[in-house]
Amino acid sequence: MGDEHDKLLPVANVGRIMKRVLPPTAKISKEAKETIQECATEFISFVTGEASDKCQKENRKTVNGDDICWALGSLGFDDYSQAIVRYLHKHREFERERASAKIAVSSQNNNIEEETN
Amino acid sequence: MRQAGTYSRILSGGGVSGRTGPHLLPLARIKKIMKKSSVDVKMISGEAPLVFSKACELFIEELTKRSWDMTIQGKRKTLHKEDVASAVATTDVFDFLIELVHRNAADHVDDVSEDHAP
Repeated sequence: MGDEHDKLLPVANVGRIMKRVLPPTAKISKEAKETIQECATEFISFVTGEASDKCQKENRKTVNGDDICWALGSLGFDDYSQAIVRYLHKHREFERERASAKIAVSSQNNNIEEETN
Repeated sequence: MRQAGTYSRILSGGGVSGRTGPHLLPLARIKKIMKKSSVDVKMISGEAPLVFSKACELFIEELTKRSWDMTIQGKRKTLHKEDVASAVATTDVFDFLIELVHRNAADHVDDVSEDHAP
Protein backbone atom coordinates (compact mmCIF):
# COMPACT_ATOMS: atom_id res chain seq x y z
CA MET A 1 0.00 0.00 0.00
CA GLY A 2 2.91 2.32 0.84
CA ASP A 3 4.34 1.61 -2.61
CA GLU A 4 1.17 2.98 -4.27
CA HIS A 5 1.50 6.29 -2.44
CA ASP A 6 5.05 6.72 -3.69
CA LYS A 7 3.66 7.13 -7.20
CA LEU A 8 1.40 10.05 -6.26
CA LEU A 9 1.91 13.53 -4.85
CA PRO A 10 1.16 13.51 -1.11
CA VAL A 11 -2.56 14.10 -0.53
CA ALA A 12 -1.97 16.36 2.51
CA ASN A 13 0.07 18.82 0.44
CA VAL A 14 -2.52 18.73 -2.35
CA GLY A 15 -5.28 19.43 0.19
CA ARG A 16 -3.40 22.43 1.59
CA ILE A 17 -3.05 24.00 -1.86
CA MET A 18 -6.74 23.37 -2.58
CA LYS A 19 -7.80 25.10 0.65
CA ARG A 20 -5.91 28.26 -0.37
CA VAL A 21 -8.33 29.00 -3.24
CA LEU A 22 -11.54 27.94 -1.51
CA PRO A 23 -13.67 29.94 0.97
CA PRO A 24 -12.97 28.95 4.60
CA THR A 25 -16.41 27.34 4.97
CA ALA A 26 -15.96 25.08 1.93
CA LYS A 27 -15.77 21.32 2.46
CA ILE A 28 -13.89 18.86 0.30
CA SER A 29 -14.86 15.20 0.04
CA LYS A 30 -12.06 12.69 0.52
CA GLU A 31 -12.63 11.29 -2.97
CA ALA A 32 -12.44 14.76 -4.56
CA LYS A 33 -9.10 15.38 -2.86
CA GLU A 34 -7.81 12.00 -4.05
CA THR A 35 -9.04 12.68 -7.59
CA ILE A 36 -7.18 15.98 -7.72
CA GLN A 37 -4.12 14.25 -6.23
CA GLU A 38 -4.23 11.80 -9.16
CA CYS A 39 -4.88 14.57 -11.71
CA ALA A 40 -1.86 16.57 -10.49
CA THR A 41 0.32 13.45 -10.70
CA GLU A 42 -0.96 12.76 -14.21
CA PHE A 43 -0.17 16.40 -15.08
CA ILE A 44 3.50 15.81 -14.22
CA SER A 45 3.64 12.64 -16.36
CA PHE A 46 1.84 14.31 -19.26
CA VAL A 47 4.08 17.39 -19.37
CA THR A 48 7.26 15.36 -18.76
CA GLY A 49 6.38 13.10 -21.70
CA GLU A 50 6.09 16.09 -24.01
CA ALA A 51 9.39 17.54 -22.74
CA SER A 52 11.10 14.17 -23.06
CA ASP A 53 9.95 13.79 -26.69
CA LYS A 54 11.53 17.15 -27.49
CA CYS A 55 14.82 16.12 -25.85
CA GLN A 56 14.85 12.87 -27.82
CA LYS A 57 14.29 14.70 -31.11
CA GLU A 58 17.17 17.03 -30.26
CA ASN A 59 19.42 14.16 -29.14
CA ARG A 60 19.69 15.48 -25.58
CA LYS A 61 19.80 13.15 -22.57
CA THR A 62 18.79 15.55 -19.81
CA VAL A 63 15.32 17.05 -19.35
CA ASN A 64 15.88 20.52 -17.90
CA GLY A 65 13.71 23.35 -16.53
CA ASP A 66 13.50 25.09 -19.90
CA ASP A 67 12.17 21.90 -21.50
CA ILE A 68 9.40 21.73 -18.90
CA CYS A 69 8.56 25.41 -19.50
CA TRP A 70 8.45 24.79 -23.24
CA ALA A 71 6.23 21.72 -22.79
CA LEU A 72 3.84 23.69 -20.57
CA GLY A 73 3.47 26.28 -23.34
CA SER A 74 3.08 23.63 -26.02
CA LEU A 75 0.27 21.90 -24.10
CA GLY A 76 -1.72 25.08 -23.43
CA PHE A 77 -0.46 26.03 -19.96
CA ASP A 78 1.44 29.14 -21.02
CA ASP A 79 -0.44 31.30 -18.53
CA TYR A 80 1.61 29.57 -15.83
CA SER A 81 4.95 30.70 -17.26
CA GLN A 82 5.13 34.24 -15.81
CA ALA A 83 4.53 32.96 -12.27
CA ILE A 84 7.08 30.17 -12.78
CA VAL A 85 9.78 32.57 -13.98
CA ARG A 86 9.17 34.80 -10.91
CA TYR A 87 9.30 31.72 -8.64
CA LEU A 88 12.60 30.53 -10.14
CA HIS A 89 14.19 33.97 -9.66
CA LYS A 90 13.03 34.13 -6.03
CA HIS A 91 14.31 30.62 -5.39
CA ARG A 92 17.73 31.40 -6.85
CA GLU A 93 17.90 34.53 -4.69
CA PHE A 94 16.85 32.50 -1.63
CA GLU A 95 19.59 29.94 -2.33
CA ARG A 96 22.19 32.70 -2.75
CA GLU A 97 21.19 34.32 0.57
CA ARG A 98 21.28 30.96 2.33
CA ALA A 99 24.71 30.16 0.89
CA SER A 100 26.19 33.50 1.94
CA ALA A 101 24.58 33.25 5.40
CA LYS A 102 26.23 29.84 5.87
CA ILE A 103 29.57 31.32 4.86
CA ALA A 104 29.07 34.28 7.24
CA VAL A 105 28.18 32.03 10.19
CA SER A 106 31.06 29.64 9.60
CA SER A 107 33.54 32.52 9.39
CA GLN A 108 32.08 33.94 12.64
CA ASN A 109 32.54 30.52 14.22
CA ASN A 110 36.15 30.56 13.08
CA ASN A 111 36.62 34.03 14.64
CA ILE A 112 35.17 32.86 17.98
CA GLU A 113 37.50 29.88 18.00
CA GLU A 114 40.43 32.18 17.41
CA GLU A 115 39.37 34.47 20.28
CA THR A 116 39.13 31.64 22.81
CA ASN A 117 42.52 30.34 21.80
CA MET B 1 27.82 38.18 18.99
CA ARG B 2 26.55 35.73 16.40
CA GLN B 3 23.74 37.03 14.18
CA ALA B 4 21.63 33.95 14.85
CA GLY B 5 18.35 35.70 14.05
CA THR B 6 19.41 36.58 10.52
CA TYR B 7 20.54 33.04 9.79
CA SER B 8 17.39 31.34 11.06
CA ARG B 9 15.10 33.86 9.38
CA ILE B 10 16.71 33.11 6.05
CA LEU B 11 16.42 29.37 6.68
CA SER B 12 12.73 29.63 7.50
CA GLY B 13 12.22 31.84 4.47
CA GLY B 14 10.82 34.74 6.44
CA GLY B 15 9.26 37.79 4.82
CA VAL B 16 7.95 37.99 1.27
CA SER B 17 9.92 35.02 0.00
CA GLY B 18 8.48 32.72 2.68
CA ARG B 19 7.02 30.39 0.14
CA THR B 20 10.08 29.82 -1.97
CA GLY B 21 12.05 28.37 0.93
CA PRO B 22 10.16 25.27 2.04
CA HIS B 23 8.50 23.91 -1.09
CA LEU B 24 4.79 23.13 -1.02
CA LEU B 25 5.37 19.86 -2.85
CA PRO B 26 8.28 17.46 -2.21
CA LEU B 27 10.88 17.70 -4.98
CA ALA B 28 12.06 14.10 -4.56
CA ARG B 29 8.53 12.78 -5.12
CA ILE B 30 8.11 15.00 -8.20
CA LYS B 31 11.38 13.63 -9.59
CA LYS B 32 10.19 10.05 -8.98
CA ILE B 33 6.95 10.69 -10.85
CA MET B 34 8.86 12.27 -13.75
CA LYS B 35 11.16 9.24 -14.00
CA LYS B 36 8.20 6.83 -13.98
CA SER B 37 6.40 8.72 -16.75
CA SER B 38 8.47 7.13 -19.52
CA VAL B 39 11.44 4.81 -20.06
CA ASP B 40 12.88 7.55 -22.25
CA VAL B 41 13.34 9.87 -19.28
CA LYS B 42 16.85 9.10 -18.11
CA MET B 43 18.33 12.26 -16.64
CA ILE B 44 16.58 15.20 -15.03
CA SER B 45 18.27 18.51 -14.26
CA GLY B 46 18.01 20.12 -10.81
CA GLU B 47 15.59 22.84 -11.85
CA ALA B 48 13.02 20.64 -13.61
CA PRO B 49 11.35 19.38 -10.37
CA LEU B 50 11.44 22.96 -9.09
CA VAL B 51 9.55 24.22 -12.14
CA PHE B 52 6.99 21.47 -11.55
CA SER B 53 6.58 22.34 -7.87
CA LYS B 54 5.24 25.73 -8.94
CA ALA B 55 3.40 24.47 -12.05
CA CYS B 56 1.59 21.78 -10.02
CA GLU B 57 0.60 24.36 -7.43
CA LEU B 58 -0.96 26.52 -10.18
CA PHE B 59 -2.58 23.47 -11.78
CA ILE B 60 -4.13 22.30 -8.51
CA GLU B 61 -5.39 25.83 -7.82
CA GLU B 62 -6.96 26.15 -11.26
CA LEU B 63 -8.60 22.70 -11.20
CA THR B 64 -9.89 23.34 -7.68
CA LYS B 65 -11.36 26.75 -8.57
CA ARG B 66 -13.12 25.35 -11.64
CA SER B 67 -14.41 22.37 -9.66
CA TRP B 68 -15.72 24.69 -6.95
CA ASP B 69 -17.60 26.67 -9.66
CA MET B 70 -19.46 23.42 -10.37
CA THR B 71 -20.17 22.93 -6.65
CA ILE B 72 -21.65 26.45 -6.46
CA GLN B 73 -23.76 25.81 -9.56
CA GLY B 74 -25.16 22.75 -7.80
CA LYS B 75 -25.90 24.96 -4.75
CA ARG B 76 -23.73 22.74 -2.55
CA LYS B 77 -20.99 23.45 -0.02
CA THR B 78 -18.96 20.26 -0.41
CA LEU B 79 -16.67 19.79 -3.39
CA HIS B 80 -17.31 16.29 -4.78
CA LYS B 81 -15.50 14.13 -7.30
CA GLU B 82 -18.28 14.79 -9.83
CA ASP B 83 -17.46 18.51 -9.67
CA VAL B 84 -13.87 17.71 -10.65
CA ALA B 85 -15.16 15.56 -13.55
CA SER B 86 -17.39 18.44 -14.73
CA ALA B 87 -14.52 20.93 -14.53
CA VAL B 88 -12.36 18.57 -16.62
CA ALA B 89 -15.13 18.12 -19.19
CA THR B 90 -15.59 21.87 -19.64
CA THR B 91 -11.91 22.91 -19.83
CA ASP B 92 -9.96 22.22 -23.04
CA VAL B 93 -6.48 22.08 -21.46
CA PHE B 94 -7.74 19.39 -19.07
CA ASP B 95 -8.68 17.00 -21.90
CA PHE B 96 -5.77 14.71 -20.95
CA LEU B 97 -7.62 14.00 -17.67
CA ILE B 98 -10.94 12.87 -19.18
CA GLU B 99 -10.08 9.17 -19.03
CA LEU B 100 -8.66 9.48 -15.53
CA VAL B 101 -11.72 11.12 -13.95
CA HIS B 102 -14.11 8.70 -15.69
CA ARG B 103 -12.02 5.73 -14.60
CA ASN B 104 -12.37 7.05 -11.05
CA ALA B 105 -16.13 7.40 -11.38
CA ALA B 106 -16.42 3.81 -12.59
CA ASP B 107 -14.22 2.31 -9.86
CA HIS B 108 -15.39 4.15 -6.78
CA VAL B 109 -18.62 5.35 -5.30
CA ASP B 110 -18.19 8.82 -3.85
CA ASP B 111 -18.89 8.85 -0.14
CA VAL B 112 -22.12 10.89 -0.13
CA SER B 113 -22.40 10.53 3.64
CA GLU B 114 -19.69 13.20 4.00
CA ASP B 115 -22.33 15.79 3.07
CA HIS B 116 -24.62 14.67 5.86
CA ALA B 117 -21.97 14.32 8.56
CA PRO B 118 -22.72 16.61 11.51
